Amino acid sequence: MNPLLAQFLAEANDLLASVDAGLLQLERDPGDPELVNQVFRAAHTFKGSSGLFDFPELTRLTHAAEDLLEAVRGGRLPLDSAMADDLLATFDLIRGWLAHVTTHERLPSGAGTDAAGLITRLRAPLGGEPRAAVQASSTGGITTIGGAPDWLAWFDAEWLTATASWLDITSSTMRFVRYVPEADCFFRAEDPIHLVRQVPALDRLGIVQPATWPEPGEYDEYVCLLSFVIATRAAIGELEHLFRYVPEQVQIVELDAGAITRHVSGEPPLKAEERVTVVVAEVRDSEQAADARAVLHAARRTFELHPVEGAHLRSVARAVSAAARALGVPKDLTDADQPRVREAVDFLLAEATPAPLGAAPAATAVPITPAEPAEPAEPAEPAEAAEAEPSGRADEHGGQVGTRVLKVDQEKVDRLMELVGELNVAKNGLTFLADAAEEEFGSRVLSRRIKDQYAGLHRIAEELQSGVMDIRMLPISVAFGRFPRLVRDLSRRLGKTVELHTEGDDTMADKDVIEALVDPLVHLVRNSLDHGIETAEQRQAAGKNPAARLTLAAVADGDAVLVEVSDDGRGVDPERVRRTAYEKGLISEDQRESLSDSEAIDLVFRPGFSTAEEISDLSGRGVGMDAVRASVEKLGGTVTMRSKLGQGASTRLRLPLSMAVTQVMVVSVAGQRFGIPVDLVVETVRVPAAEMGRVLHQDVVVLRGDVVPVLDLARLLEMPSRDEGADRAILVVTVNGQRAGLIVEQFHREVDVILKPMEGLLAYADEFSGTALLGDGLVLLVLNMKEVLGLAARTA
Amino acid sequence: MTATETPPRVLIVDDAATVRMYHRTLLTGAGFEVDESVNGLEAVEVAMSASYDLFLVDVNMPKMNGYICVEALRSGAVGSDAPVVMISTEDRQRDADRAYAVGANLYLGKPVAGERLIRIATMLTAGRGTPE
Amino acid sequence: MPLELHDDTATLVGVVTVDEVEQLVGWLRAARKPKVSLRRCNHLHTGALQALLLFKPKISAAPNNAFLAAQVLPLLDSSQRNRR
Repeated sequence: MNPLLAQFLAEANDLLASVDAGLLQLERDPGDPELVNQVFRAAHTFKGSSGLFDFPELTRLTHAAEDLLEAVRGGRLPLDSAMADDLLATFDLIRGWLAHVTTHERLPSGAGTDAAGLITRLRAPLGGEPRAAVQASSTGGITTIGGAPDWLAWFDAEWLTATASWLDITSSTMRFVRYVPEADCFFRAEDPIHLVRQVPALDRLGIVQPATWPEPGEYDEYVCLLSFVIATRAAIGELEHLFRYVPEQVQIVELDAGAITRHVSGEPPLKAEERVTVVVAEVRDSEQAADARAVLHAARRTFELHPVEGAHLRSVARAVSAAARALGVPKDLTDADQPRVREAVDFLLAEATPAPLGAAPAATAVPITPAEPAEPAEPAEPAEAAEAEPSGRADEHGGQVGTRVLKVDQEKVDRLMELVGELNVAKNGLTFLADAAEEEFGSRVLSRRIKDQYAGLHRIAEELQSGVMDIRMLPISVAFGRFPRLVRDLSRRLGKTVELHTEGDDTMADKDVIEALVDPLVHLVRNSLDHGIETAEQRQAAGKNPAARLTLAAVADGDAVLVEVSDDGRGVDPERVRRTAYEKGLISEDQRESLSDSEAIDLVFRPGFSTAEEISDLSGRGVGMDAVRASVEKLGGTVTMRSKLGQGASTRLRLPLSMAVTQVMVVSVAGQRFGIPVDLVVETVRVPAAEMGRVLHQDVVVLRGDVVPVLDLARLLEMPSRDEGADRAILVVTVNGQRAGLIVEQFHREVDVILKPMEGLLAYADEFSGTALLGDGLVLLVLNMKEVLGLAARTA
Repeated sequence: MTATETPPRVLIVDDAATVRMYHRTLLTGAGFEVDESVNGLEAVEVAMSASYDLFLVDVNMPKMNGYICVEALRSGAVGSDAPVVMISTEDRQRDADRAYAVGANLYLGKPVAGERLIRIATMLTAGRGTPE
Repeated sequence: MPLELHDDTATLVGVVTVDEVEQLVGWLRAARKPKVSLRRCNHLHTGALQALLLFKPKISAAPNNAFLAAQVLPLLDSSQRNRR
């Protein structure tokens, strides 16, 4: 992607965020001029920047939004929620477009149609469209060709070259139109120039005159002899629409920098009989003159407005001198007073001859064949002089001004993180080497020295890792940011009044965690709005504030981040949960009696559970909560819910601050090594076989007075288990608040690994959460303890 | 402008990073030396300590908009007599009038085609106030 | 009235439509040293422009209209110089 487009996309991202936040706040506080201004400015910047690219639909849409916002800013229109909806929809559409641009570098093909309706709605409060809506419609009859056509030679090569380099900078394309009106078109009330004038975003127009004019005596003024070549930034759809009544007279071609360059660098010349008077070469001079005249007009206007003096007057004098020079009529206006400058302006404007005096007598249009278009060695124009000027001081771009925040491509950070992971793996290799030094080569000294080296490397790796992790850290507000909008839309749809509060917005967590957090949070918030929060009437009847309160809170807790979604709604009724769970066959009659309230509430996370009697279109369908638990646990986190009937519910997610590096404990079973996430490990114990007990068909071990069920990991993984030996190595883990002991063959060390998702045949093996490469080159399977223990429960 | 001179210095004042990059790319490509400011206030501060041959100033910016910025550039504190081109998406006569009243020498609608921007910048910096 | 025609001078005002083309051509044929002011002209029908291009009258005043000034005037100017 070209850097300018990349820059635009990055800037657009920031703008979208600020627009969304601003609009939502605005709706609540419509009178805040600073907020209006903020949103307006974002829309404005969008429009301005989008104009640099070939995104006419985007420019038009943001223009409509900007106009509406400007009316609001100027106090001419109060912002109502319908307008806010339209504005939000506008920026949603834009967000979608930009995602498309990110991958395809162009707007989606339906952009024009998608935008049209919104533009009409945005303009409606302002009294409708300023002019007839341009509807992109494919008329089909128009020839649209891809390669550079011969008639491109009617544009002068220099301009084409400049255009090509500009298209290159912006990675855009330009549309070129060849319009040859039919000879009798005047009789059909057609006025080709009138049509041409309506070409949007006209960049260059060439009016092509006949190679030979008829004698004045034989001239028939009703026969059209002129034709046109047009360069425009308008979309093909717009052009097709404009020329829809004369499709057979029009050829449209879309060209990029490459196509133009190929054309310029020696293409088939036009046929000799098509010798024409080329006027476009002349336009270049007159463009220079037009710019000069623009400066002169500006100066004249300035004087008309009010008297000018001091630095302002000197600047006008400088500008006018520059314009005079460009017109070929140098004027020294140093220290001139206003009347003298004004006199010069009037003189130069009256002169009005665009041809530079004394320069380029041959530069005016002469009939030339396009085959030899570049009459070279025209006296250098200032523009050329500038290009020719050595820019040897480019390296001396003295102080770039302004605060600079480094925006780094996410992929680069990810790559850095991968390297840190590889460093960790390589580092782990040293410990194997140390063991080998001692065990295989019998050198304890060497082993010790390797371990010392390891310790030093370990420290550096750790610092490097925390440094990189720090770059990856994002405030949780990134995840929270989308909820104001979501809550607003959902509550509106449900007819409920909800105030959203967020706490701990600046709590930091790894970007992967933040990203992964969004989906579960959306589920929880939807669930709360759908089932937890009552309507205003119900709340009033219950003696509550009609506006419900929904809180998203985050707090850091050591290596983890706690995120809580809580509401003051009706809460979860444990009795109802018990009944539903029983009716759905999720629990037995016994369990229905014995489950405590908090255990009952936990049932909502069971697959297939839903308390909603009706399935709502928001979150119903009974998949929500178990999906939340599954996805959070996949991240190595936990979910718990607390509720007080009638007072509300709160769901707490606990997630590791970072998922990039996992510490696993390596154990071996049946001669094969497995990894178990260290944060699940409570302790490792060796228990004499004789002390193992058995309660209700379950092996148990008593640890400090607690009875802990014990499972044979080998058997769970369907591997041969060896019961021999006096001691049992038991790894005690906690999963879902339940302790369990796992019999393993041997404990090994703890290692830091980068967990890779399972691939290939094992991708569906739920009992593994991923693989990791060990320092000695072995691949370690990391166990998903939740599944492994679930396996135990099912097979028990 | 002859090849022996130092390149003309341009200050681009615009809050939109994309627009700044676009203008900078064009102008540095044409041999200009380019600095950037993200709002009017910063531009005024910069212009107090460095001298420029041309200012390209956006209108709508936070902190200090383009009009106030240009007015400040012309005022005693900076007192620059270098040409100012204001570039804005607002392409209306009254916006242009306001620009001319505060001290701009040309008012252009955004976006300015690349070649035109280079042409105008070249024209306005040729000679650079020193009479030939 | 879009056409103000005198012996050798004409002023084109506002929008010159196809209806004025015949009259304009007649005047261009008749005038010895035609001079045309486009200052107040906002639009020229293609037929009118074509006639000006063929008969190449001297343009005594440039159009205020931006499109005509930028896109059409250079053609008329250059055709004028060509003849000299």
